[in-house]
Formats: sequence, structure tokens, C-alpha cells
Amino acid sequence: MNINKEILLVLCLAHFFSLRISAQSTYQLGSLPSINLNHKLENDWTVNFKIESRQVMQRGSFDGKSEKSFDYVLTDYSMIAAKKLGLNSRLSGGYLIRFREKEIIHRLIQQYTITQRLTSLRLAHRVVTDQTFFENEDTEYRLRYRLATELPLNGQSADIGEFYLKISNEYLNSFQSSEYDLEVRLVPLLGYTATEKQKVELGIDYRVNSFLSNNARNSFWICLNWFVDI
Amino acid sequence: MPNYIIQKCLLFLLVMSSTALYGQVKYEKESRMKEKDVPKMALDFINSLEGKGKVKWYLEEGLDQTSVEAKFKLNRQKHSIEFDTTGNLEDAEIQLTWKEISPAVRDSIDFFLGQDCKKYKIRRIQIQYSGEPGIVLQKIKTGEKVSDYAVRYELIVKCRKEVNVNLYEYLFSESGQKLSVSQIVFKNSSHLEY
Repeated sequence: MNINKEILLVLCLAHFFSLRISAQSTYQLGSLPSINLNHKLENDWTVNFKIESRQVMQRGSFDGKSEKSFDYVLTDYSMIAAKKLGLNSRLSGGYLIRFREKEIIHRLIQQYTITQRLTSLRLAHRVVTDQTFFENEDTEYRLRYRLATELPLNGQSADIGEFYLKISNEYLNSFQSSEYDLEVRLVPLLGYTATEKQKVELGIDYRVNSFLSNNARNSFWICLNWFVDI
Repeated sequence: MPNYIIQKCLLFLLVMSSTALYGQVKYEKESRMKEKDVPKMALDFINSLEGKGKVKWYLEEGLDQTSVEAKFKLNRQKHSIEFDTTGNLEDAEIQLTWKEISPAVRDSIDFFLGQDCKKYKIRRIQIQYSGEPGIVLQKIKTGEKVSDYAVRYELIVKCRKEVNVNLYEYLFSESGQKLSVSQIVFKNSSHLEY
């Protein structure tokens, strides 16, 4: 992709988001820390355990109303097993359990990833289908696509003791009770390769949904991710 | 069972699963270098090449040795010149296409790759010159061989064996004899996948 195309893409995204943030749009601001544990098995199998928690610190609308309060929202635990198919591709399947107030939610996950190693960056394409089972709601089916890139800030790869930028853009199509919704996520993160087996990332996870039929709901999560190979 | 007990059990399982450690992988760190930090001999060598594109300098730190590397384009070909930390030339690598290698050498390389791999694809080919700096410099500048220097071929090959597919770095002699092979271990990409 040349520079002109990149500028065009950024302008399109900026235009898209500026349309969606109207005065009636609501927002929430909070934190989304996560721990990712990865374990390598024999015959090109890997397994990933993830714990992610969500807390809201402020809610409001873009017309000025806001309310500050610290509320714990939920915690997710997931386990995904992956098998390397080709040199750069992996097929995975897993299960997530979500604890939200007194409700327990179950999710089945299937994903396919392709990681491209270019001269000075890495690109990862991820296609996910998942099915979420609620206690008092119909099952939600989602189809997701995410493009993530790692840009080393020094040299051609993010080595130990070096920083990198990780930017991802994801589109989530949701189908539930014959209703459709689209969520868009944009996640810029600053990462640090602490050791051969540990990475830490800090940034913002921006999400917007409900904009197709209602006022947009915007979420800004402060992310702190810790990746560990065990 | 209350939710918090299930959560505690899951956390315990996660911590308990973190026991087995995997073997060491080769440590190699590569970082950009400023031109002012490049050894004078290395800088003089590169500066004597006319018509080259922008030069990028790198410091490659391995377990056994540290090298200084210059990467640039000359005559539309990618060049990579490696020096030791005092500026002595180690080798010069120039990217080639498969057709630029002589048919006899190609046949020999094909034979060895066919022995190792069920199916293979050559991703990158570099011809490697090493020897007296003046002679290697002359070779890069004019393409002429004025005296003896060593020639090797370095190939990056995607190789499918019985159960898995991996990327390998092969080193072949000037006549196409296999000298060494090592598997390229990719950096972990789990932070891009999950």
C-alpha cells in the first residue's frame, strides 16, 4: 500500500467516525486489563489462556451529560487451542466463560489467522466466528474480521528491550433474534518486548456499535495487556 | 457453585499449567544504527560505492558475535554488506533471481532440496562474496572478477516435510554443494492473534 492509499484510508476512517459521534451518541470510559498465557505443545499445537476484566469509570452522552462512578462489569476466562496449518496460518477453536453480575455466559470460538511477515512489519488477518449462549436471551452469532499490524519502533523487528506500535481494526457482525448489528473497533497500542517470553501493551480500545439503527454507543477502554509464554 | 469460586478455580488451573518451559532459541537482536556510530572502515567501504540508494545501518547482536550491516539498493539489486565491529568486511550479499544462477548449480541445489523436502519453494536467493575487501569491492562495483574470492549461495526455503512446513536457511557452495541448513524460528505472534 503506498502513502496516498494510506492517507485516503485514514481520511475515510476519520470521516466514518466523525459521522457516528453525534450529540445523542452515548459513551462509556473504563479499563480493560488482560493477561494472555500462551503455551507451545508438540506437533505445531499451541494453547492460549486469557483472563480479561472490564471496569467502567464514566458514562455519558456527547451532549454534555456524564456520570462518574467506578463499576466492575465483568470478567472473561477463555481457552483456545490452535493448530498451525501452513507456514503462516493457524486454525483455532476455543471456549470462553463470562461472569457478568449474577449471570454466566458461554461462548464457543472458531478462528483462522494468517500472519504476514514483511520487511519491517508484521500483519495478521483474523477471521472469527463465535456463538454466545445467554441464560435469558437468544443465542448471538458473530462473524468478525480483524487486521492487526505490529510496527517496530527500532530496527526491522521488535526485539527484547524495544518498543512497537500495534494497531488493529476489527469489524464485528452480530446476529441475534433476527436483528443485525455492526461493531467497529480501532485499537492503537504501544507495546514493549520485556523478555523473550513477555510483552506488555498499553493503549486505547475504541468500540462503536448500534449506529446502524439507533444512536451510536461508543466505548473507550484503557487497555493494559500482558502476554506471557509459558 | 458461586461465581467467585469458579473464578478462583480457573485462576488456579491457569497458574498450575505454567510449569513446562521450552528450550532456548537462538538469541539475535537487530537494531538500527546511526551513521556516526558506524566504524570508519565500514563507512569508507560503503561510501566508495557510487549510484547506490539510501543506506540503512543495523547492529546485529548474536550470542557469539556482533556485526554491523549496511543495506541498500544498487543497480536495482538489494545489497547487504556485513562487517565486524571494527569495520573489517565479513561478506557481501546480493539478491539474485533463480534464473541468474547457472543451470548446473541450479540442478545441484534442486537435488539437495528435493532430498530434504517433500515439497519446497525458494523464497529468497542471495549470492555471498567474501575475501579481500578490495577484490569484493571491485566485484560489487564492476561485476568483474579480478582475483580469488569465495562464493556461496544463501537460500531461504519454505520446506514441507512429512508432518509440518517450516522456513529454512540453506547455504550452498559455488558449485551447489550443501554446506549447512538451519531452521528459521519466527518470533512469537500470539499478541497479534489473540
